[in-house]
Amino acid sequence: MESAAFDIPGVTWSSVSDKLIGVRRLTTGIWLGLPLVIAAVPAVIFGGAVWIAPAVFAAFLVWAFWLIPRQVRAIGYAELEEDLLIRKGVMFRSIVVVPYGRMQFVDVQAGPLTRRAGIAQVQLHTASPGTDAAIPGLPEAEAARLRDRLSEAGEARLAGL
Amino acid sequence: MQPPPGVQPPPDAPEHATAPIEWRRLHKVTPLLNAWKAAAVLLGIAVWNYSEALAELELPVLQKALFVIGAIVLGALVGLGYGALAWRRTQYGISNESVFLHSGVLWRQQRHVRLDRLQAVDVTQPLLARLFGFSSLKIESAGGAGSNLTLSYLTDDEAQRVRNEILARAAGVKQREQPEGGPPVEAEAAPERQLLELSSGRLLASLLRSAGVIIAALAVVAVVVAVIVTDTFRYAAGSIGGVVAAAGYVWSRFAGEFSFRIGISADGIRLRHGLLEAKARTVPPGRVQAISLSQPLLWRGKDWWRLRMNVAGYGGETGQDATTVLFPVATTQEVRQILPLVLPDLGTDSPVETLDAALTGTGEDHGFVTTPRRARFLDPFAWRRQGIRVTRTAVLLRSGVWWRYLAIVPHERTQSLGIKQGPVERRVGLADLEFHSTTGPVLSKAYHLDVDVARELLLDLAERSREARRHAAPERWMAQAEQPVAPAFLRAGYAGVLPSTPDRSAQ
Repeated sequence: MESAAFDIPGVTWSSVSDKLIGVRRLTTGIWLGLPLVIAAVPAVIFGGAVWIAPAVFAAFLVWAFWLIPRQVRAIGYAELEEDLLIRKGVMFRSIVVVPYGRMQFVDVQAGPLTRRAGIAQVQLHTASPGTDAAIPGLPEAEAARLRDRLSEAGEARLAGL
Repeated sequence: MQPPPGVQPPPDAPEHATAPIEWRRLHKVTPLLNAWKAAAVLLGIAVWNYSEALAELELPVLQKALFVIGAIVLGALVGLGYGALAWRRTQYGISNESVFLHSGVLWRQQRHVRLDRLQAVDVTQPLLARLFGFSSLKIESAGGAGSNLTLSYLTDDEAQRVRNEILARAAGVKQREQPEGGPPVEAEAAPERQLLELSSGRLLASLLRSAGVIIAALAVVAVVVAVIVTDTFRYAAGSIGGVVAAAGYVWSRFAGEFSFRIGISADGIRLRHGLLEAKARTVPPGRVQAISLSQPLLWRGKDWWRLRMNVAGYGGETGQDATTVLFPVATTQEVRQILPLVLPDLGTDSPVETLDAALTGTGEDHGFVTTPRRARFLDPFAWRRQGIRVTRTAVLLRSGVWWRYLAIVPHERTQSLGIKQGPVERRVGLADLEFHSTTGPVLSKAYHLDVDVARELLLDLAERSREARRHAAPERWMAQAEQPVAPAFLRAGYAGVLPSTPDRSAQ
């Protein structure tokens, strides 16, 4: 992968838990699997061109299962002296730099599936709705540590608006 | 009318160890001014729902009219009664730290706004209140839409006094001691100097040259032609809604931006505007998060620009288009006068030339970095114009060949930064650089930069904004002024166009 341009010299990225792959595959499996089954019923009955619909869903499912591990491994974050760096994306890549002092609040979120996997999402909010600073798939202990670290760093470097 | 100084504090008033808050009431006329709204709503409901039923009733017309009037009067009385109760339960107070508003009849609400978090103060005179000399005062803080504290209604004088007091306290100007038994010392209004006033002729001309009006006019012509050709009104009926909507938009622009005046005081930028509903807004120094300048094709001949701004607290309020306008129509010469109010130092040694290059220029003159030549298939016309210029104090983002656009974000105001790259951009080695600002109209994104340049800029700008934050002026803008000099945020304009600022002590 020619990701050189999106690597920043001197920054070591921490990656997120691989358990996120399972969780995301499960959710995608439900969202694409249900319509697949529903579309397969008339296909079995009538046959022929009606198979196109379930085939499309199946193709998407295979593609998603292939893509999800790459997406999850592309997520990285780095805690620098003054800023938090978050890297994301395979096809659409992005890097966000969020200064700790700009933090308004931190969210730690976990749904029923992620909780069973023992992971959580940490999201940093600034005064801008454009700041997309969410780190999904952190092990619970790491999420709690990061939350405390971010609040602490934010307090120490508090800036106005 | 000063409310009696001995108003009892509300039962849920906070216990203050330090200076006690002097609790005040809104003006007695508030329930009356609000009651007509209840009557209007009732009238609307009556007309909407029962007009047919009423028409079918077999009663003399006079009786029907009495019926309707009676319902309205009853509604107004109920509104008045509730309003009077609400008025009794509403009290506000101002301390050196916060503004307090306690209100509500059944659901009590206590709202405390910290003065160092104050983003803007508006004095609004809605039409009816304006006729009788009343204003409402609105204190904006940065909590998103609805995060304001509104005091309505006060007399015009009282609203001015309260605004001056709030701004003086928010600025960190210490209140002089109240002499024992004497009248309270009033905060002086920060002296103000008006800079520019928009003539109604230019406002009208600018609206006539806007795309919306031209399209609406063409639509009207098309409808008239259709009516004449087909000799029926069949096609006209459907288009009436569109024409009414367009007329409504133009009217709201005209009425909202009528007599737009921009001025400067030690408490920040003063904006006054409005034909029917008059507004006087104060945006303290350092509260403007980003500015945009835009020029539609038809304004080019006149050299006109529309200036808009992001102010935390104004953003996200629907139907408040006019509140984010810094100046509706300004010439380049006037832009050079207005911009220094927001950004006193453009951070280059040749500000006028840089600004001109940013407004109308193309290519790499004056330090602009544009979209590389190899990406011209993505932006066949705009690639030479689309660019970014980083100065010592701000970043200038230039775009648009037909519809020219310039966004300016000061380094100390960027919330966060990011780069993005899609699959096509990756093929060509490009990336977009984003500046995240508070909610508002300014689009702060540099498209299609060389990816290495974008990464370098990202790191460089993160460092610059860190540095700028460290040296940022205090939230309480007068707090560190040791000697009463003109505040540093307003020295001379870019080309020395501005004379010195009026300062607080010079009264």
